[in-house]
Amino acid sequence: MKLKNKRFTFLLAMVLVISTFLSACGDKGGGGGASGNANGATGTNSQASDGADLSKEVKLKMLLVGGKPADYDEVSGELNKLLKEKINATVETEFLDWADWTQKYPLKFAANEDFDLVYTANWAFYNDQARKGGFLELTEDMLKTYMPKTWEAMPQVSWEQAKVDGKLYMVPNNNQEVTDKVVFIREDLRKKYNMEPINSPETYAAYVKTVGANEKGFNAFGAKPADGWKWHELDQILLEQQNEWNLVDYSIPLAYKLADEKGQVFNVYDTPEFKQLIAYYKDLADNKAWSKNIVSNKNDVWQDIKAGKTGSYAHTLGTLGANLAEMRRDKPEFEGAIVDLTPDKKKIGAISTQNGMAIHATSKNVERSLMLLDLLQNDKEIHDLTMYGIVGKHYEPVGDDKYKAGPSAANYTGFSNWGWNSLLNRTDASYPVEADEILKAWQEKVYHFPLETFVFDDSKVKNEVANVGNVMLRYAIPLEYGLINDLDKGHAELIKQLKSAGIDKIQQELQSQIDVFLAAQK
Amino acid sequence: MNATVSTAGGTGTDLRPAARKNRSKDRLILAVIGYTALTLLALFCIFPFLLVVSSSLTEESGIIENGFQLIPTSFSTEAYRILFEYPADMLKAYAVTFTVTALGTFFGLFLTSMTAYVLSRKDFKWRNTFSFFFFFTTLFSGGLVPWYLLIVNYLELKDTLIVLILPMLMNVFYIIVMKSFMGSIPEAIVESAKIDGAGDFQIYVRFILPLSKPALATIGLFIALAYWNDWYNALLFISNEDLMPLQYYLYRLLGNMDGMRKAMMASGAVITTNLPTESLKMAMTIVATGPILLAYPFIQRYFVQGLTIGAVKG
Amino acid sequence: MKGHGFWGDVKKYKILLLMLVPAVLFFLLFAYIPMAGIVLAFKQYNYAGGIFGSPWNGLDNFRFFFDSGDAWRVTRNTALYNIAFIVVNNLLQIFAAILLFEVAGKWFRKITQTVMFLPYFISWVVVGAIAYNLFNFDVGTVNVLLNKLGMESVDIYNTAAYWPVILVLVSAWKTLGYGTIMYLAAITSIDTEMYEAAEIDGANIFQRIRKITIPNLMPTVIILVLLAIGNIFRGDFGMFYNMVGNNGLLFSSTDVIDTFVFRSLITSNEIGMSAAAGFYQSILGFATIMLANYAVRKYDRDHALF
Repeated sequence: MKLKNKRFTFLLAMVLVISTFLSACGDKGGGGGASGNANGATGTNSQASDGADLSKEVKLKMLLVGGKPADYDEVSGELNKLLKEKINATVETEFLDWADWTQKYPLKFAANEDFDLVYTANWAFYNDQARKGGFLELTEDMLKTYMPKTWEAMPQVSWEQAKVDGKLYMVPNNNQEVTDKVVFIREDLRKKYNMEPINSPETYAAYVKTVGANEKGFNAFGAKPADGWKWHELDQILLEQQNEWNLVDYSIPLAYKLADEKGQVFNVYDTPEFKQLIAYYKDLADNKAWSKNIVSNKNDVWQDIKAGKTGSYAHTLGTLGANLAEMRRDKPEFEGAIVDLTPDKKKIGAISTQNGMAIHATSKNVERSLMLLDLLQNDKEIHDLTMYGIVGKHYEPVGDDKYKAGPSAANYTGFSNWGWNSLLNRTDASYPVEADEILKAWQEKVYHFPLETFVFDDSKVKNEVANVGNVMLRYAIPLEYGLINDLDKGHAELIKQLKSAGIDKIQQELQSQIDVFLAAQK
Repeated sequence: MNATVSTAGGTGTDLRPAARKNRSKDRLILAVIGYTALTLLALFCIFPFLLVVSSSLTEESGIIENGFQLIPTSFSTEAYRILFEYPADMLKAYAVTFTVTALGTFFGLFLTSMTAYVLSRKDFKWRNTFSFFFFFTTLFSGGLVPWYLLIVNYLELKDTLIVLILPMLMNVFYIIVMKSFMGSIPEAIVESAKIDGAGDFQIYVRFILPLSKPALATIGLFIALAYWNDWYNALLFISNEDLMPLQYYLYRLLGNMDGMRKAMMASGAVITTNLPTESLKMAMTIVATGPILLAYPFIQRYFVQGLTIGAVKG
Repeated sequence: MKGHGFWGDVKKYKILLLMLVPAVLFFLLFAYIPMAGIVLAFKQYNYAGGIFGSPWNGLDNFRFFFDSGDAWRVTRNTALYNIAFIVVNNLLQIFAAILLFEVAGKWFRKITQTVMFLPYFISWVVVGAIAYNLFNFDVGTVNVLLNKLGMESVDIYNTAAYWPVILVLVSAWKTLGYGTIMYLAAITSIDTEMYEAAEIDGANIFQRIRKITIPNLMPTVIILVLLAIGNIFRGDFGMFYNMVGNNGLLFSSTDVIDTFVFRSLITSNEIGMSAAAGFYQSILGFATIMLANYAVRKYDRDHALF
């Protein structure tokens, strides 16, 4: 009896499993046809009429990267009330977690899933997705018709920067930031050792060397190499800013001089400036400025600084400003300061594609999506709501351009609403004054140059770019962190490896694109 | 036919040779080697785990200042408090994982052993053909995109419990290992069963399965572990928070912080977080391993005890 | 029996074939159908065209790998590491399994076996963090100990030569429990009557291990090794990446195909190029396993994979 029972269970299990398979197979045919159709119907229904027809209510779908904030649904409810009124639409947002967005993001396009708007950025594969046909091309007409406020507020440079192969696929954010990096130091240590104020590579070297020599169990400088970052953390300051160069793309070591009207491209590793810089780094490394194992460091540098184990690190002004505020709040026994090592050099504005929004190539609601973007970026009420949450709960407005964190600020933060950064952005009232002052001073001397809007199309030299990137990680990074004793030999090896990885071919391609670009501008 | 199998040890007399009271010299040598080597290996394995336990109970600043220590320098349960901040979510994640593991292991083990049995039958003409058919799939794969398309667009399994179970139901590695275990069962058993008029399926259920207890326990454990530890299918196919298994729930907690830091660097955005990442990582290991470790001794008896095939021939 | 032709055989094996149906359907659906994606290795992928409609681009996707000058180095590293893992891990697991079976104390056996399984549960991210804690130059446990003994610190993270040893040890440590269980199950499946017979013949315990346990383990060993050989050109990315990371100084001895490809494609995110690398690994693995399986077949038909 017992045996029979068992057999029955097994048979049942088998039937169950087989039927699952069969039903799965059945689905295959049906689903296939449907998705095929969807693929074919690309963008035909987007140019319905000139004025927007708002009679039919639509439901938009938006894809953002970042974890879903705890209070998102509440904010979203408020947002939809406003949207219903203004453009007769509601929006539903799907979040791709920070943990896995790089894997999921391209798959959403590959499977042609149903969404209308999507976050994008130069660091989030914007060019690549655009070339693969993931985004809808945006014409000037569309922008003028459906995004009048944005069209008015956005500088032309920002649109130009967002073009891929001459076509626009993104509504970039409108955030006039400066990209220069600065250094966070421990001001109390500087005072302790009676050092002069830090405002140049030399004074900074003196600080790191003194601190490195005198503080036990302490790293004067810290860095955590991120995936794919192929430079010394101080390179942006000491190589680019100091020499007034502009690296075309951080994945290849090619730059031009900011002041060079011809846009002559050169290999930064193959310059006397770079050779001097590695000697400078080597000197710091030999004087215990940083850990011998800095390249393998797995700790978060800012946490190390807060714990009093590390004496400086380089980052953007915004982040260091927030760090400084945090240190004042949590660690009053330490005194921090933000220093600019290249105060007199030319400053460059941030590229607009650092954050932005795009329309999915197969979106069925292009007009309404663009209208939504217009509101997100340039409607004060909606911008405030989507950027900072609900007044009294997530933030308190301070005047027109500042805010104070509210009691549940933590429940509405941490995702890519940066896609619609704009001039309406507020700044944190607790943000340190000195950081603000640095920024103001910078903004006054932002340097504009002809190649500002140039973007390199690397599709013809993809293989070489991949290999050069590998060489940079393998040969340049150890050289820059002072881990190779014979600098000349290490440098010669780097140059040799770059050549065989095909740097010359990339340089040629880049130069010819720049030449064409400059010729077109005249 | 007497179709019972006795496991040695436990209830009956212990038939394991080493357990006999025969203290000859070679046994003594083996005992010395055995105890010493196993103790060393065990220490080698437990030391890092103790570091994990201790660090999960250390204040974040303590870890940053002193690294991982065997004894917490500054005791704190903060990491666990954060993990269980939303106990309902955590319990839900545990429930999903338990369901998926139980269903997946049951059906998976059944299908794996059934397939393995057919392949192990030396008189089955196409056993090599089918073995190759299965094995080939471990060598070549079409990659992520077609896989995703198949499951999302064609099978439409996104955000279902099935998607966490079905794609992992069978694994060639387990089938082949199982087949090799079954290959060591004497053919005489199949022959005599056939003479008694048993069909192939009956032979499998009545004779092969009971004789394969150690193999079933082992492969069952492996299948269960694979389900227990899987977060990748959830990453790809689950966005409904009610269907998130434990490992993915934990993965997101940590991955979100790391991913956000990188994104902030690139986008110029500013967000400050104060999560104790180091101790959290460690606490996650404990939270995810705990239930398996508690269940382990119950499965363990199947592979630490001998099996007497003779009893079946009876 | 003979001479009934194909359909006669089908009839004869009807039940066995039916028992294979679920597995065959499963692998057709979840492995063979998606395998169509291999064509991406030869295509310039775009969304509108998808897998089949995107334009062909010949062997372009393979160029980044073969033009790099590192193809041979990383391929060799991958194979050598995997061979070392196969040999060391299996020997250690067999050794542990035999001892676990032979020692007397029931509780001792249970506890050591459980403990050996612990490393399996520690994710590579955490293992990487622990390794850094142990090995770093400034405050790593290893160097602190060396200094206490009056010795010089060793700069492990900047010395490529240490890493093959470290990685082999870490792999052995991580897989010990998992593999031991498999061998233990195999030993447990050996008919105890055989041991008794040996004992009556007067064999001592070492002879018994050599004459009965090990020969009976051989089929399992051969199968596990063959299975591993099929994947000999696939590096364990989680392990190499979390242990070594982006430390260029160690690449000469630690770079495997998977880490190399990851680094190359991290900024370009090109589906076709990663498909190409995967296809290269598959072809090499396929050739190797066919040879290995052929060799085993010559020696003993029953022990081969197929």
